[in-house]
Amino acid sequence: MNIRALVAALGRALLPNRRDREVDDEIHFHLSEEARLEAARGLTAHEAACAARRSFGSVALAKEATRAVWISTTVEQLVQDLRFGSRILTKSPAVSATAVVLIALVIGGNTTVFSIAHAILDKPMPGVRAAGLTTVSWVAEDGFIQAHNQYRAYSYFRDHSATLRPLAAFDFQRATLSHANGSYAVSAGLISPNYFETLGVRLDKGRAFTTDEAERGASGLVVVLSHQLWKTSFEGADDVVGREVTVNGYPAMIVGVAEPDFQGTGLGGQVDMWMPLAGEIRSELQPDRSSVVVLMIGRLAPGVSRTEAHAELTGLWSRLQQVDPELRRPALFANREHPGLKPRLSRYSATAGGDSLTSIYGDRMLAIFSVVTLLTIAVVCANVANLLIARAAVRQRELALRQSLGASRLRILRGLLAEGLSLSAVAWIAACVFAWWVSRAAITLVLSEAPATFVMPDITPDWTVLGYALVLALIATIAVTVAPAWRIRRLEILPSLKVGEQSIVQARSTLSRVLVVVQLAFSVLLLTSAGLAHRSLSLSNRFDIGFESRDLLLARINTAGSASSPEANHSLLQTLAGRIATLPGVERTSYVPGQTLLTPWVNFPVQRDRSTGVILATNHRVSAGFFHTLGVPFVAGGDFPETRHPGSQSVILTQALAEALWPGESPIGKTMLAGPLDRGVEVEVIGVVRSAHFSGRVTEAPPRYIFFANADRPASPGTATIYIRFSGAPTTIGPAVARALREADARVALAGLRSFNSHVAENAAPLRMLVTLLTLFAVGSLLIAAIGQYAVVAFDGRRRTREFAVRIALGASPPHLVASVLGETFKLTAVGLVVGFALSLAVAAVLSRFLFGVTATDPPTYAGVFAILTAASLAACYVPARRAARIDPMTALRTE
Amino acid sequence: VAKTGGGKPELLQGTLDLLILRTLQDGPQHGHGVGVALRASSKDILNVDHGSLYPALHRLERQGWVDAEWKLTENKQRAKFYRLTAAGRRQLQAERARWGRLSTAIGRVLGPA
Repeated sequence: MNIRALVAALGRALLPNRRDREVDDEIHFHLSEEARLEAARGLTAHEAACAARRSFGSVALAKEATRAVWISTTVEQLVQDLRFGSRILTKSPAVSATAVVLIALVIGGNTTVFSIAHAILDKPMPGVRAAGLTTVSWVAEDGFIQAHNQYRAYSYFRDHSATLRPLAAFDFQRATLSHANGSYAVSAGLISPNYFETLGVRLDKGRAFTTDEAERGASGLVVVLSHQLWKTSFEGADDVVGREVTVNGYPAMIVGVAEPDFQGTGLGGQVDMWMPLAGEIRSELQPDRSSVVVLMIGRLAPGVSRTEAHAELTGLWSRLQQVDPELRRPALFANREHPGLKPRLSRYSATAGGDSLTSIYGDRMLAIFSVVTLLTIAVVCANVANLLIARAAVRQRELALRQSLGASRLRILRGLLAEGLSLSAVAWIAACVFAWWVSRAAITLVLSEAPATFVMPDITPDWTVLGYALVLALIATIAVTVAPAWRIRRLEILPSLKVGEQSIVQARSTLSRVLVVVQLAFSVLLLTSAGLAHRSLSLSNRFDIGFESRDLLLARINTAGSASSPEANHSLLQTLAGRIATLPGVERTSYVPGQTLLTPWVNFPVQRDRSTGVILATNHRVSAGFFHTLGVPFVAGGDFPETRHPGSQSVILTQALAEALWPGESPIGKTMLAGPLDRGVEVEVIGVVRSAHFSGRVTEAPPRYIFFANADRPASPGTATIYIRFSGAPTTIGPAVARALREADARVALAGLRSFNSHVAENAAPLRMLVTLLTLFAVGSLLIAAIGQYAVVAFDGRRRTREFAVRIALGASPPHLVASVLGETFKLTAVGLVVGFALSLAVAAVLSRFLFGVTATDPPTYAGVFAILTAASLAACYVPARRAARIDPMTALRTE
Repeated sequence: VAKTGGGKPELLQGTLDLLILRTLQDGPQHGHGVGVALRASSKDILNVDHGSLYPALHRLERQGWVDAEWKLTENKQRAKFYRLTAAGRRQLQAERARWGRLSTAIGRVLGPA
């Protein structure tokens, strides 16, 4: 059928057209003509009219059959059914509205949640356009995942892989960018020259790096700015390409500006500029080239599957380890605690591949969300179906009438299907509007704890999400249609016609009861899952990390623009920390040079002596007084001395590490080996501090730390964090700290000023978002289940009006009736709770891997869910029960 | 399409169209007129539900065998008059011949009573 014919057919079918009226007129004429004949034979007007109708047969059927002659195409029939369906829906607006709202809520809610989950877990970051992108990470035999591997592994893959081509490498570094307008602490992406090309990211201005620039630093240092940095620090100047700037004090030239959307490949902190990975800066900051580690993203060559690429990379990796024994060294990666490192390929997304919780559990999270979504849909569909079944029961009389007038069962079924379709069409439109609005509201709620520099994921609903909503609408339609149709399938016409409306409604159907139980059980499951996740998070908030984390401010600075040597850097940091300590309200300060303590990497080998086994610890350089600032007490020994003792090698261990090295002995004064096997040095233990989560809580037990004095081994200029213990309002301390730093040395860039807690929260932000989503989900489904139970109980009460009236007339007291109605519904609630708890226990066993501090059978969670569900159920049933008890028997029985 | 009442024979499937075409051969007629004519010419033996005339009339109209036009009756009432078209005339001939063959054949099979 061509388009024009389709439109014509739609038009004919939609508008109550001329032909319909003509048929009416024609039949009306027939009847009046026939009546006239009969009247001529001596009948009264009324008798004549009756006789005319008798000889005519069913008027409605004749009209319908006559019209049907002209309706030939399926489209027209469907549209006619739809028109009929929508008419039926407006006939009982309350039921229809409830159904529409329920479906809209669930589809809209699910679309929203899916949009956000999809954006966080599944989508590439804005600006990344290439197809077939694959993140390469590394997994050990024991499941330990790491994102980085050595640059030499990357260059080998890049040169030899035929399946991942091109393959890009990158890493991040804090840097100080100085130009005419001042110094800025920026987050720099260190990238291979093919980075932008691999990702399909466009440059707004200029060009990317040449291989010469990137690998050999041929023409000095070159940088590409992010669009945002270009806008904010360079006022969007047109002639920015070619300008000279300095990066960490080295002269550099701007060669390009990236497109506006692109701010890095990973969800989290934005990247401000990019510079070559193997350039000058990198070699300065990491003198040992062999230890440069990178992240990798590659593009699958045309026609190559990820499995093939994985097979090839695994082969290349084992070959590389044979030709390059350096890579087998335990010091860096393939260490003893996590042996047998293998490549792991995952589809690139904003959170894929790394070693963060979201990337490790991302797939499973998405799976959990899909299951949760399906459960909610099931709950809602059950609900709507229940509503429509209830209505279908009341409408049995109407349906019987239609059947007796000659409508075929198929036709009635089609009418019901049309009803369902109209219902879900309206609901779908409502859902789209709802989702559009809510996803904006929800993302602000979900992201409320994320830092300002957090790059927003791309949450605009895309085809996947729209398609998803469409599938949801279809499922909803089928569910709401098939269920009532099932009920009318075996409809007996005569009994339905003979009796009054109230009486034909049979005893409550098993189907409705089962549906109520199913939705209650699903709500219980969702509530317990969300409850466990929530409790786990809130427990980890209140968890004692070993020191007071409130009133602790972290000032992240970059000294590369000011200090030129490690020694100068050390005295600069001492000066700065000392200066801040004199500010009013500041109690104590200390600092940690280099990477902050906030991302603990357990990769530093320590040994008692060469004969004992290696233990992996987290190593950090700290200033004297660090533990005092944090408030972590010494268990034995004491702090680093304030003054420098060049050549001295003293360390402080946490209690856990000390006990692992010298079980049951005092380690004070003992010497040990620290560092990679062939480069390990002898150090002396001068103190042991209580174990604490210095990096915030990342794992169940605190990592084992080994601390060096920055005074003994000063760090190169670059990032450092000043820990400030203060009393008073952080709003006044913050500006004072910034001013003090500026006054002390204007070339020092302040990269960030944030409380310890918000810093930790940033690390957990994606996980927190997902838990918030799960909670929203659970609350929504509880609401829906409660509405559903209310609807069923209310409807049940309505059709049992007569029974209640009789019982009241026979002397049943209202409280007794309320109790009996509540009792009946509570049986359902009880079954729902039991089934739900059984499901929860099974699911929680899987969930428990994500949960800190709570077991899968956490009693408070289950008790809470029990209380909430019982209360909701009670609230849902009480109003209808009261209404039943207040029936006036005289009125109710007379209207029968 | 039609039903029996009080021992009256049931109309064979598809024969209603033939009867309507034959009735219209005598001149344009509205639906009610067709019904009355059928009743009269069958001497009340064939009891056709008048309601079933209309789907049949419209089916014939759709197939182009009859034309329809709204006109005033003698009583100044608007009615839809049906008229046989040339194609309808040919169809009537064909159907009529077919019916003749069919009834002869059935008569032969049944034989003398």
